[in-house]
Amino acid sequence: MLPQAVLSKIINWSRYTSPWIIHFNAGGCNGCDIETLAALTPRFDVERFGILLKGTPRHADVLVVTGPSNQQIKDRLRRIYDQMPHPKFVVAVGSCAISGGVFRGCYNTQGGMDEVLPVTAYVPGCPPRPDAIIQGIYVLLEKLKKGG
Amino acid sequence: MNALWLIFQVLVFPGFLFLAVCALVLQWLDRKLYARFQNRVGPPFIQPLADLIKLFSKETIVPKNAEQGLFRNLPYFSFAAVVTSFLSIPIYTANAVVSYPGDLVIIAYLLTIPTLVMALAGWSSCTAYSIIGGIRTLSQLFAYEVPFFLALLTPALLLGTWNIAEISQRLPAFLMANPFYFIPVILAFLVGVISLQGKLERKPFDIPDAETEIVAGPFTEYSGRLFGIFRLSLDMEFVVGASLLASVFLGGATSFFGIPAILSYLIKTLFIVFVLAYIKSAVARIRIDQMIRFGWRVLAPLSLLGMLLVVIFNKGGLL
Repeated sequence: MLPQAVLSKIINWSRYTSPWIIHFNAGGCNGCDIETLAALTPRFDVERFGILLKGTPRHADVLVVTGPSNQQIKDRLRRIYDQMPHPKFVVAVGSCAISGGVFRGCYNTQGGMDEVLPVTAYVPGCPPRPDAIIQGIYVLLEKLKKGG
Repeated sequence: MNALWLIFQVLVFPGFLFLAVCALVLQWLDRKLYARFQNRVGPPFIQPLADLIKLFSKETIVPKNAEQGLFRNLPYFSFAAVVTSFLSIPIYTANAVVSYPGDLVIIAYLLTIPTLVMALAGWSSCTAYSIIGGIRTLSQLFAYEVPFFLALLTPALLLGTWNIAEISQRLPAFLMANPFYFIPVILAFLVGVISLQGKLERKPFDIPDAETEIVAGPFTEYSGRLFGIFRLSLDMEFVVGASLLASVFLGGATSFFGIPAILSYLIKTLFIVFVLAYIKSAVARIRIDQMIRFGWRVLAPLSLLGMLLVVIFNKGGLL
């Protein structure tokens, strides 16, 4: 019906217009999670960008993950990621998710989220402000817009 | 020519395409109103379409444990039931595309199918959360369905007809001639709006898909295209429910023809959507036992009271 190029352009547009996120705490101290939830409140209004918080990984496009990912949660995190339908993206929020943060070198943690999952965008901070988290997702969307 | 015209009516206007556009626009309006009530900006106009295209372009996962055939085919049943029920609502003429004595009852039953399909979808997904969601869907059905039917029954009993088009034409004039009957009809309208909120599983009755408790209820395992069809059919149910109330209680397209009829229909439907969005933003979710108690102790007696007034004064010949 439509030529392939136009169709893929429309699909790409729909992807960066409606990113649904799921939020997961992989063993962090809960600081980043409070900030992530704050980012979803009416004050910051992420629905402007089409961002909605979804409860199940089956509906989500973006996995917002916090914490250093310890040994115990590694497999669960991997399973949640596997349950998400393609195409899917990961945003690592907070210092722990980037490098392990204060938990780096601990006997039970990894060095950062990218040792477990393919991460697309990083949000630094301990914890990052809600504005920074929204900007992190925005950076991801910009990447999508260009990458196609 | 006649057959072509009928196909056009069923597929384009006022059938499927019109309903789909209405569903997307009203979903946007609902979300936008909700956002404005919360003092935020809200989603852009094109948002529901983007959501839908994205869902259709995503991978569709069917879990290994799920009942394969049921799981794949259920969304289409809910979709078909809703699209069919829309044909009996008068939009651009005083008469609907498919109008026959008793279509009010048929619509009420057709609108029950999405709920049953949701419960079945929860069961066929075979996960703990979706099964709990399915059970909650069914228990909630018993709380709002009876008041909803009784509320629709009140104007039908008053005018002695089961035809939606006839009710929507005659009710306003009848009420003007006999202002006493404003009391039962307004009672029935209030009950109808509140139980429609339960039927559509919106706050405060979004118990079956309570995100904070049971992930996404019956839809927990649905993804991609199948979830897209479910979502579209629920949005369409929103439109059909709102326009059903607008046609039965507010006169819908009344006896106009063409553009005035469409305008009159749209304005009344938008009014219902506004009321539904207002309720949604004013309240929080209640528990399932509170919902059942509310349905049977408040809604059902209220709607019965309205009907009793009609029976005593109209059928008893007092007024």
